Amino acid sequence: MKLTELKIGQKAKIVSINTRGLIKRRLMDMGLIAGTVIEIEKIAPLGDPIDIVIKNYHLSLRKTEAETIVVEEVK
Amino acid sequence: MKTITVAVVGNPNSGKSTLINALAGTALQVGNWPGVTVEKKTAKMQINGVLINLIDLPGTYSLSPYTQEEVIARDFLVTEKPDLILNVVDATNLERNLYLTVQLLELGIPVVIAMNIFDEAKKKGYMIDVEKIEKLLGIKVVPTVATKKDGIKVILSTIQQIAENSELYKPKKLNYGEDIDMVLEEIEKTVKSTHRELANKYHDKWLALKILEGDQLILNEAGLEGNEPFISRAKNHLSKTHKEDLETLLADARYGIAHGVTQEALKKKNSEKLDITERIDKIVLNRYIGIPIFLIVIWLVFKFAFDFSAPFTDWIDELIFGPVTRWTVVALNAVHSPEWLISLVSEGVIAGVGSVLVFIPLIGIIMFILTLLEGSGYMARVAFIMDRVMHAIGLHGKSFIPMILGFGCNVPSIYATRVLETERDRKLTAMLCPLMSCGARLPVYIVIIGAFFKSYSATILWSLYVLGIIMAVVLGFALKKTLYKGFTPVFIMELPPYRLPTFRDLRIHTWQKLKHFVVKAGTYIFAVSVLMWFLLNVSFGTTKENSFLGKTGKMIAPVFEPLGFGTWQASSSLVAGVIAKEVVVSTMAQIYVGETLSEELNSQSTFVDDIRETVVGLGKATEDAFLNLFSGFGIKSLSAKEEEENSLLEERLKNVFSPLAAYSFLVFVLLYWPCIVVGATMKQEFGSWKEYGQAMLIHSIMAYTVAFLIYQTGRLIGL
Repeated sequence: MKLTELKIGQKAKIVSINTRGLIKRRLMDMGLIAGTVIEIEKIAPLGDPIDIVIKNYHLSLRKTEAETIVVEEVK
Repeated sequence: MKTITVAVVGNPNSGKSTLINALAGTALQVGNWPGVTVEKKTAKMQINGVLINLIDLPGTYSLSPYTQEEVIARDFLVTEKPDLILNVVDATNLERNLYLTVQLLELGIPVVIAMNIFDEAKKKGYMIDVEKIEKLLGIKVVPTVATKKDGIKVILSTIQQIAENSELYKPKKLNYGEDIDMVLEEIEKTVKSTHRELANKYHDKWLALKILEGDQLILNEAGLEGNEPFISRAKNHLSKTHKEDLETLLADARYGIAHGVTQEALKKKNSEKLDITERIDKIVLNRYIGIPIFLIVIWLVFKFAFDFSAPFTDWIDELIFGPVTRWTVVALNAVHSPEWLISLVSEGVIAGVGSVLVFIPLIGIIMFILTLLEGSGYMARVAFIMDRVMHAIGLHGKSFIPMILGFGCNVPSIYATRVLETERDRKLTAMLCPLMSCGARLPVYIVIIGAFFKSYSATILWSLYVLGIIMAVVLGFALKKTLYKGFTPVFIMELPPYRLPTFRDLRIHTWQKLKHFVVKAGTYIFAVSVLMWFLLNVSFGTTKENSFLGKTGKMIAPVFEPLGFGTWQASSSLVAGVIAKEVVVSTMAQIYVGETLSEELNSQSTFVDDIRETVVGLGKATEDAFLNLFSGFGIKSLSAKEEEENSLLEERLKNVFSPLAAYSFLVFVLLYWPCIVVGATMKQEFGSWKEYGQAMLIHSIMAYTVAFLIYQTGRLIGL
């Protein structure tokens, strides 16, 4: 499933990032590496961007980028 | 004396600038990196007979070039080769910070870690085994609390020790996993035999890594294509054994090392309660009350920035144009100076200095607020909340702050563009900010609306502000498709923990900005003011009409004919408006109403009276500043004298403008070239006059077009 399909408070493990080039590298530099567990923390009051917790810090990204991140739910 | 160059590198929000301020103190020099708008801080200091040359590199998450900041950091490390890297690591965010450390270690330059924000980590229940990290990586790690200056001495002595004795530095070999290590070794071997010079210049492993990564700069330097047999062989091997692409593999490997070290060295006491940042964000970023809170914060920012500074601005203004001018004139008269000299000094030089000095309270207070917003972490929340709106017009969420400040004054807007992450965003925002109708345009609106649109003044005033915003959206779209096209770094932003900035940081940052404004931008503003004096006063006759300005006005007046105000008076006023937009009104008053004898210059007060009044005035200004914080917004009321002048001017204007032409004139004043103070600030911030040149041209063309359309359409429908 896509990262954007997660609900607030749900945890998931990153499977892959389906984008290329600089943006993909940036996402990886920020810690979005396959196997890493993330949690959807909140959505901005106007609906975009979203705030996720990864590697113990808060990262915000727009839905456009979040859509490219494939995750699987962690129970 | 032995000199060592130390580059300070670290993630954004790692407390790096606080550490630099603590290390360097007054030795800190702030400038720009050549050719770009990225701040560069340096300091020279002497410790035990060693000269340490400290260079702050822009905050960066990684050395793979993404933003301009990262390109600068990387290029400096690779080409300038500092003697040592001081890596500032945020102890509360160990793994992501160590990811950068791994990349720094690859460079082969000795690294010392400042394990910063150590106190906060402890408070969060993090137990960091510093010695373990030292052992695992083989480098020195010094716990620091930059806000309290803890660990600063140890940092300096460690730097000095390692610089004097390189034997002390014994980094461990980084382990990227069997397959990668193997291909790196092979590349290393090949490069050593085929490119000996390059191998001498760079660290072996780094060179091999860059060749494997296909780093264009290094490939070019080596004269490699990137598809040579030994490179392809390595790549093939990796793609056979792993399904991910090379980039992902390396990021995995680096994060693997960072993760390993973190696992070993960091123990967390289990604390169930939410930390302070999460508790604040629960409220501040709440779906329902997040936006109201945000609006209140912005209102407070505005209030502090403009209402609080206004009485001080007025005080400086009165001081300079009252007593300072008066007594200078008295002194010049006493030595029998010629009339023109007195005029030049009082109306040119003193007025020029004055026009720079009046900005001090405003810029000082706004820089203070901006540093507070950035340092506290709220700026990232502003971006988080406003990104949806700003993104719609092609900007980053953080652009909201410079834009909103523009409604008070466009000058601090230009400074505020620094909060943006990329140069493109900074320049694009700076191009749009002047369309936010600033406070200096208000006097023009008031006079013209007073003369022509008394019965629906609010609607007319409102329409101008809205038109400015609409034009900003239009121009934003147009510029994105033309001058500012190309790769737009996307919004991938850390929401840092809330922290209280230290007073030292606030003071240093505010002071640096003020100094730059007064010295650098001030020079240009002063020069233009004096030039304007010449334009206004050097005449071929005795009337205003025959001054340079009048002649210029006459020459360009026909251009404004299709806009409805093709008179020399109107065009001269517009030209003079380059100093500041309110000058449009004062010039009109001078031309239409004529010289009103300035009472202040003829007042009978003594020197002592003036000094007393000035001191009392400062007290009053301080009182007013605080009172303003508790009052609502309001247009400053005019003094009786100004009222009288204005009503005279309004009468005259009624005879020369039609209401339609008057509105067209208002629109033109709203949109045409930004004032010279904005220009000088742009020059100082962006390093060249190019941006101001563009802004002058683009905005003037836009103003002309819109005013033309309004006037001609109005005439067609018979207004």
